[in-house]
Amino acid sequence: MALVLLEDVAKCYTLGGQEIRALNGVSLRIDAGEFVAIIGPSGSGKSTLMHLLGCLDTPSEGRMEICGHDLARATGDQLADIRNREIGFVFQSFNLLPRLNVVENVEVPMVYTGASARARRERAEELVKKVGLGERMKNRPTQLSGGQCQRVAIARALVNDPKIVFGDEPTGNLDSTTGKMILGMFRELHEAGRTVVLVTHDPNVAAVTDRVIELRDGKVLREYNPRTE
Amino acid sequence: MNLLISFETGFREIFSHKFRSFLSMSGILLGVSSLVATLALTAGIERGTRQFMEQMGGIEMVKIVDKDISDDQLDFWNLSPGRTLQDARAIRESAPLISYVAPELDEGMPVASAGETMRTRVRGVWPEYVAATDSKVEHGRSIAFLDVERATRSATIGATVAARLWPALPASEVVGKTIFIRQVPFEVVGVFQMNERDSDRKRREKAAESARPNTRQRTYDPFRWKNEAVIIPLSTMFYEFMSGLYPEDSMDTVRMRDFTIRVTDIENFRPALEQVKAALMVTHRGVDDFEFETREEWFDNMNASVRATRTSGGLIAAISLVVGGIGIANIMLASITERVREIGIRLAVGARSRDIFLQIIIESVTIAVLGGLLGVLAGIGLITLLGIIAPSDNTPYVTVSSMILSVGFAALAGILSGIYPAIQASRLDPIQALRYE
Repeated sequence: MALVLLEDVAKCYTLGGQEIRALNGVSLRIDAGEFVAIIGPSGSGKSTLMHLLGCLDTPSEGRMEICGHDLARATGDQLADIRNREIGFVFQSFNLLPRLNVVENVEVPMVYTGASARARRERAEELVKKVGLGERMKNRPTQLSGGQCQRVAIARALVNDPKIVFGDEPTGNLDSTTGKMILGMFRELHEAGRTVVLVTHDPNVAAVTDRVIELRDGKVLREYNPRTE
Repeated sequence: MNLLISFETGFREIFSHKFRSFLSMSGILLGVSSLVATLALTAGIERGTRQFMEQMGGIEMVKIVDKDISDDQLDFWNLSPGRTLQDARAIRESAPLISYVAPELDEGMPVASAGETMRTRVRGVWPEYVAATDSKVEHGRSIAFLDVERATRSATIGATVAARLWPALPASEVVGKTIFIRQVPFEVVGVFQMNERDSDRKRREKAAESARPNTRQRTYDPFRWKNEAVIIPLSTMFYEFMSGLYPEDSMDTVRMRDFTIRVTDIENFRPALEQVKAALMVTHRGVDDFEFETREEWFDNMNASVRATRTSGGLIAAISLVVGGIGIANIMLASITERVREIGIRLAVGARSRDIFLQIIIESVTIAVLGGLLGVLAGIGLITLLGIIAPSDNTPYVTVSSMILSVGFAALAGILSGIYPAIQASRLDPIQALRYE
């Protein structure tokens, strides 16, 4: 089953009166249970693709479906619901709310599903323990290391049990040891059956996945399996 | 996102910025406290005025007075017997909208106890006098029907008279004493309640506490005519003091000096006066030589001044509430630019724009309502302080409805001032907001 389906997708911006085609006819398909990396140098359009995949934006042209939802016709509220229930997002800079503690941060996506306070608390604590931060539940993000922050972010991404988890340069702000550990966590997620998509410029990150989609100048350059390459 | 969660988020936001929240609250706080104070002041004035009106006999009390007759009736003015007891009987029989009729013969006379003497107005009345003027007997009784029927020498006296003639005795012990009215002995059968304004009572109580004589001279006491009253039966008044002056007159033909009537129901004020007029036109044989002295205009003026006070005070409070609301809007806008990234994160993990809108509105309402509640406390404090440093005629008091009203206005100011920042926040683009540093 295709969780992500893009056919001839283009995304255009006008910057200073000049039209920029950040994506120019991208077609790709990601099935349930895959572990995929999208790789490319800066300017290749991978951030734009990430925003489209993360339902933060809609395509200018082409057909695009995420978990069966047609994005070309989605309203802002529908996009928000998809982001909320179908997608978990892990960012390079963690993007935790500085005034909330660990558990409260993990709860945030659940708040917008209307879950009861107790259900939120139980689910969030369960996930915080799962990512190994059971001792730091009441800490603020500023009291945590980068690796710990990213683990909180992963717990937050999982709190609504999404079908697909995106990581946007998830190791970009971490040292290599911590980065490896975080990548290990993504691997575990994949092995537990979840679909995981990482966007990165780093070939070492791409190497842990099963399939690499390489972008260049707004187009898919090639696809390959990093293990056989 | 349900409301409870929004409130929780709002509270957390407010308490994590205590000083900033307090600053943005302060405008609302001042507005609400001045609103509460103004409402308390006007409530005090209103209550004072109402009490004053009641003690003065109320708007229902009307006097019938003589009037110069018009030129075209000059030729037969002597057909009219004037205001006599016939009038009182006629009103009683044919003006059902009038509850009490109190004809009165009065005369300034010396009154004395065994030791003290004073001059005052002695009123010969019917028993209805007490009800018609809304006077209250505190000790003993008032002039009764039988007193009038048998022309007894009984008197009910005002509190000031009792205090002046028997300075050593409490009012209750004055009942049963003998009072000399122009050397004629009368039995004091009752003493009226003291009528006074709030401020005068306070002054008196304070003076009593400090055991110092009250040296302050009153410039004007609107209750003087009640407190210095000595009332005796109308018949006694006539036979003891007046029949000598008007030997040709009888009880029925002597002209009354004063004539008070009381309208049953204020709703039927005009029709009641019409009834009286119709009755009196008969007894006066068609001569239009009387008119009504009502207090409508006077009471209207009082009400108008209360309304004016309330309006101007409310206006000042409204201005401070608006200023407070602008303050909140300002702080909310500032806090939004500070929190663009937070809003971006919330949007990215699935908040809809209306969730963000609601969050900002609830924050500003929470600030406003907290400010409002503090403002109510401040207002009560202000009023208490005012009562201590400047006791006035009309003690201000804070009503529950004024508190609810004030907090309601604060909440409204919070909603209105939150709308613009909330719209701004909910329109943020998640990608731009996430990139914002």
